[in-house]
Amino acid sequence: MRFALLVTAAPDQEAAFQAWRFAEAALAQGHQVSRVFFAGAAVAHGNLLNTPARDETGLTRRWQTLQQAHELDLVICVAAALRRGVLDADNARSWEQPVANLADGFVISGLGQLAEAQLEADRLVTFPG
Amino acid sequence: MRLLYIAARAPYADDRAQELLDTLLVAASFGAQVSVLFQDDGVWQLLPGQNGAALGRKSLGAQLEALPLFEVDHIYTDAVSLAERGLAGNDQSSKDLLLPAQALDAPALAALLAGHDQVIRL
Repeated sequence: MRFALLVTAAPDQEAAFQAWRFAEAALAQGHQVSRVFFAGAAVAHGNLLNTPARDETGLTRRWQTLQQAHELDLVICVAAALRRGVLDADNARSWEQPVANLADGFVISGLGQLAEAQLEADRLVTFPG
Repeated sequence: MRLLYIAARAPYADDRAQELLDTLLVAASFGAQVSVLFQDDGVWQLLPGQNGAALGRKSLGAQLEALPLFEVDHIYTDAVSLAERGLAGNDQSSKDLLLPAQALDAPALAALLAGHDQVIRL
């Protein structure tokens, strides 16, 4: 089955962890995850400055590992990302911000990426905050 | 594809009401058939005469009034959510809401959810 995921929970919320668990389990069982779209408070997943305690693995790192293993499409909603201070190099330049902080493996794009994924998927699974 | 969006947040409590609206408008522009249900504190989004400027925000109500222009005209409310908040629906006589919306009871809500391919609640 082909899943698209919509995550709006912040990384510290249980639903955010469940999103990652769902993706990992679906992929392990041979399903496709065509795209994971992070909107609202979930855009914080893409902040490379997230620094969990040394004995914990944060969700940013967990998603990056999954992305590398399965070439996952991890998309951060641009409007929500700018509002919450998650910028890639292009946006940092065009908005004249001093730094970019988008974590490797994530891309910033628009809501069209969500619409496209949800219309093509067999199932859209949402993880609200 | 038939998509049902459930607006369940008060209009200015956080960004979710605005983000749900943005999301469903893009989906509609991609050719999806979009319905919207206002439920729980989401029914406050339908109050007329909103002025977001008092909270340093854009007024959500003015944007919602434009929904029919984007061919989003399947608009519903949860009758219980309205009643709990002392709001009248907008069926015929009353004009409490800024959009014509059909108030649904529990069995009708169940049928509404069953009739859509995807349900997105923010």
